[in-house]
Amino acid sequence: MAKKIMVVDDEKDIRDTVEMVLEKEGYEVVTATNADDALKKVESGEKPDLVLMDIMMPGTPVKDIIPKLKGIKVAYLSVVRTSEAEKEDLMASKNIVAFIQKPFDVNTLLKKVKSIVK
Amino acid sequence: MDIQKELSSNQTVLLLMPGSEYNELMVETVKELSNKSVCYVTTNKTYDSLSEIFKKKGIDMKNMVFIDAISKTLKKTPDQGDNVYYVSSPGALTELSLAISKFLRHDFDYLVFDSITNLAIYQKAQICAKFLSSLINNIKKNKTRAVFYALEESSAELVKHASLFVDKVAEVNKSGKVNEVVAEKEGEKEGDGDNTKEVNDKKKDIKKVSKK
Repeated sequence: MAKKIMVVDDEKDIRDTVEMVLEKEGYEVVTATNADDALKKVESGEKPDLVLMDIMMPGTPVKDIIPKLKGIKVAYLSVVRTSEAEKEDLMASKNIVAFIQKPFDVNTLLKKVKSIVK
Repeated sequence: MDIQKELSSNQTVLLLMPGSEYNELMVETVKELSNKSVCYVTTNKTYDSLSEIFKKKGIDMKNMVFIDAISKTLKKTPDQGDNVYYVSSPGALTELSLAISKFLRHDFDYLVFDSITNLAIYQKAQICAKFLSSLINNIKKNKTRAVFYALEESSAELVKHASLFVDKVAEVNKSGKVNEVVAEKEGEKEGDGDNTKEVNDKKKDIKKVSKK
């Protein structure tokens, strides 16, 4: 059974590109336009194996949504540059499994996704 | 890139930078300005991250104060630190505007706005344009010279709006050269403003103002 990835990004171009790349690799992909939308979808029954979540989006701050996604692995996609210490703090939540800096290389992303959901 | 020269003949400059070289170019720009007093507004890198980058690149930060509009969206952050003032989010344009106004009153030599691209994530281009228009009008009432960064590949609508308000729009190529002047408005060219106040005094004053 294909692993399910939820791509959460307010930029349509990024959502579409990542969706296309992941589907080509055999993943089932659902998308959400921001953290609120992602939470709504999870609460309505979506059970992704991994959420790829942009860290900076309009709507409720991502940091306030993460605790509500208990038990779901989340990898941050971040255009925001943080210090190493801040990165460690952001990764402190149990369900945060990776921090991927934008712009990212597609192969790096795929490698990361593969290693997380294997 | 000789940004000081650009800013000596234009009070406000919009620099369009390629995304792939953005971080290198923004560091180079700040390095050039760091011998004068700088108010650095960040909407895409936390203050801690900027400190880390600038220290690594040997940029002296003693003449700088920061307005950080990103840290509060990521973590618990106080309202201000020694040389940093935190704004709740890049979308909180009124708050951001008030914070910048406080600093402008103290005649910093330069204001660096990094970057207008990120504003468009939180607000519609027209709202951001209104904010930029008001900010640039405010800058023009002061001696401070301002450089605005934007990614050349994105936020086309906002860049178009911003181009109407700034004195000069320049594209910076990968080697850091200003290779094309997209638009330069006619108007009075001003010389360097005389600013002899110590940055530390400004910081103290800013703290006083902030506490009011």
